[in-house]
Amino acid sequence: MEWLNTSIDWLTLLFQEWVVVYFQMLPEALQTVILIVLKIVVIMVPLMLSVAYLTLAERKVIGSMQIRMGPNRVGFFGYSLAGFGQPIADAVKLMFKEIIIPTGANKYLFLTAPLLSLGPALAAWAVLPFGEGIVLAEVNAALLYVLALTSVGVYGVIIAGWSSNSKYALLGTMRSAAQIVSYEIAMGFALVGVLMAAGSLNLGEIVNAQRGDYGIVSWFFLPLFPLFVIYFISGVAETNRAPFDVAEGESEIVAGFHVDYSGMAFAVFFLAEYANMILIAALTSLMFLGGWLSIFPASWIALVADIPVLSWVVGDGIHWFFAKMSFFLLLFLWFRATFPRYRYDQIMRLGWKVFIPITIVWLLLVGVFVIQGWFGLGAA
Amino acid sequence: MLENYLPVLIFLIIGLAVGAVMITLGFVLSPHKPDSEKLSPYECGFEHFGDARMKFDVRYYLIAILFIIFDLEIAFLFPWAIVLTEIGMFGYVAMAIFLGILVVGFVYEWKKGALEWE
Amino acid sequence: MGFENIVFYVFAGIMVFSALMVITVKNPVQAALFLVLTFFSCAAIWMLLEAEFLAIALVLVYVGAVMVLFLFVVMMLDINVARMRAAFMQYLPIGIAVLVTMAVMMFMVVNQIHIDAPGRAAANYNNTRELGLVLYTVYVYPFEIAAVILLVAIIAAIALTLRRRPNTKHQNPDLQIAVKRDDRIRMVKMDTEEKK
Repeated sequence: MEWLNTSIDWLTLLFQEWVVVYFQMLPEALQTVILIVLKIVVIMVPLMLSVAYLTLAERKVIGSMQIRMGPNRVGFFGYSLAGFGQPIADAVKLMFKEIIIPTGANKYLFLTAPLLSLGPALAAWAVLPFGEGIVLAEVNAALLYVLALTSVGVYGVIIAGWSSNSKYALLGTMRSAAQIVSYEIAMGFALVGVLMAAGSLNLGEIVNAQRGDYGIVSWFFLPLFPLFVIYFISGVAETNRAPFDVAEGESEIVAGFHVDYSGMAFAVFFLAEYANMILIAALTSLMFLGGWLSIFPASWIALVADIPVLSWVVGDGIHWFFAKMSFFLLLFLWFRATFPRYRYDQIMRLGWKVFIPITIVWLLLVGVFVIQGWFGLGAA
Repeated sequence: MLENYLPVLIFLIIGLAVGAVMITLGFVLSPHKPDSEKLSPYECGFEHFGDARMKFDVRYYLIAILFIIFDLEIAFLFPWAIVLTEIGMFGYVAMAIFLGILVVGFVYEWKKGALEWE
Repeated sequence: MGFENIVFYVFAGIMVFSALMVITVKNPVQAALFLVLTFFSCAAIWMLLEAEFLAIALVLVYVGAVMVLFLFVVMMLDINVARMRAAFMQYLPIGIAVLVTMAVMMFMVVNQIHIDAPGRAAANYNNTRELGLVLYTVYVYPFEIAAVILLVAIIAAIALTLRRRPNTKHQNPDLQIAVKRDDRIRMVKMDTEEKK
C-alpha cells in the first residue's frame, strides 16, 4: 500500500502546485466562468447518461411487462450484462447515419429546430436544487424560469414541422403544438397552487416548506392532491408521451413533426424528449414530494442518528430525490405499456374541460387554506 | 441579483451548444450520398404532390388565442401567489373577482362550443 | 461593470440586428422567428435592469404564447410577396404617420420624466414579491380592468373565428357517460311459447 499513498501524495502535490496556481493566475471573471462551466459539466454528464440509460430502461421495463426480454445482446468485452451496452451502440450507430435534408426544406431552420428542442430541456436544470443548498443558480424566480423554458420548447416542434416541407410533418406539428399549449395552462395553474402553499418561487424554499415533523405527511401532494395528479398528467402530455402521443401517431402520420429527420438530427430530438421526461419527473418530486426530504418522521431519523449506514439511508439526502424521480420515470414507462392512445378530441377535452375547471376551483380553495394559515402547521 | 443569473446564461449557451456539436459531429462522420428519391419528402411511398404548406382549420388559431389569454392570467397569478399571506383577505377577494370575470369568459366559450373538437 | 456592459452590447446588438431582419427578410415565417429573437434579447436586457419578473414574463407570454399564434397564422397563409411589394407605396404615408407619432410620444415621455438610475439591488432582492405587494392592493382597479379587457378578448376571439360545421360526425362524451341502461335496452316480458 506504500506506493498507493505516495502516488496519492504526489497527485495532490501536482494538483496544488500546478492546477491551482495556474488557475489563480487567470483573471477573476474567467475563474468564475470556468468554475460555473465545471459545475454545468457535473450536472450535464450524469444527465446525458441518465437519458441514454432511460432508453434502455424503457425497453427493458416494457419488455418485461409484455413478457419479452428486451435488449440483451450488446454488452462490454464479450459480456452481455443484460444489454448494458445498447444505448452506446445506438448512439454510435446514429452518429454514422446520413443526415438527410429533404428538397424544399429550409436548411438552416431544419437544423436549428432540434437545438431549440434540446436547449430548453437542458437549461432548466440550472435552477433545480439537488439537496440543501446544492444548486447551480440560486434564483428567486426559479419556477417562473422553468415555466418560461417549457413554453419555449414548442418552437422546436413548430420549426421542425414547417421547415421539413412535408405534409405529414406539418400535420403532426399542428397537432402537437395545439396539444402542448393546451396542457401548459393546466400545468401553470398547478404550479400556482404550489407557489401559494410555499409562498416562494425558489425551488429550494419550496422543498423546505414541505419539511415537517412527520415526514411524508407534510409534503404538498396531500393538500394539493388534484393539482399533483393534474401536473404530472399534463407533464406526460407536454412531452408528447403515450397515451398523449398523437403527434407521433405511427399508424397515421408515422412520426409527426420529425418524420423527415434522420441520423444525429433525429437523435437530438430523441434526447430532448427523454431529457424532458427526466425534467418533469424531477420537478414533480421537488414540488409535490419534498425533493430530497426523507419519507420518515423526524423522530425516527433522530433514533438512528448514531448508526453509520442506516442514518445516511434514513435521513434526508440526494438519494431520496433520485428515488422519487425514478418512481415518476417508471410511471412514464408504465403508462406507455398500459394505456391505448387517446383520440385527439379526447385530449383537447381533457385539457380544457376537465383540468382547467378543477385547477381554478382548487386554487381558490388553497387560497383559503393559505389565508387561514393551515399550511406549514407541522413545519419544524 | 444579476450574479445569480450568470450561471443561467452560461447554461443556456451550453445547452444549445451541446445540440449543435452533436449535429455537427453527425454531419462530419456520416456519409453523404444524396439522390432525388432519397431527398423527396416522406409521403408514404407516393410521389409527393402540391405544396406541403396548406391552409388549416381555424380552430387551431382559436386555441392559440385562448391560450394567450389564459397564459396572461397565469402571469398575473404568480406574484399574487407568493404574497398572499401578506395581502390577506383583500388580495384574495381581488383575485377572486379577477378569476370570476375570466370564468364568465370560460363559461361563454364552453357554452358556445369553442372547446368542442368536432 | 465591465462584464455587464459586454452582455448588454451583445444582446442590444442581437436585438437591433434581428429587428432589422424582421422587416427585411422575404419569408414571413422567418420574419416571425426573428421577432422571437428580438423579444428574447429584449428579455435579456430587462434582466440586466433587474426586472426579473417582467423579463421572464416577457419570454413566457410573448415568446411562449403570442408568437406561437403569429407563427400559426403566418405559416398557414398564402402570402403573395409580389403583391405586398406593390402595396408598399400605398401604405407608406400611414407608416410614416405612425412612426412620427411614436417618436414624438417617446420624446415627450423621456423628456419630461428624469429618473435617476437606482443602485444595484442586493442578492436576495425579490422583484416578484415587490410587484405583488402593490399590484393587488394599490393598483387593484387597473388589475380588475385588465380582467375585463381579457374577457372582451375571449368573446371577440370566439365571435371572429368560431365557425360551426354542422355536417361533421363527432361524439359527445357527456352524452355517452350520461347513458342509462334503460336508454339502450328494453326488457320485454313475454310468455313462453310452445314448441310446435
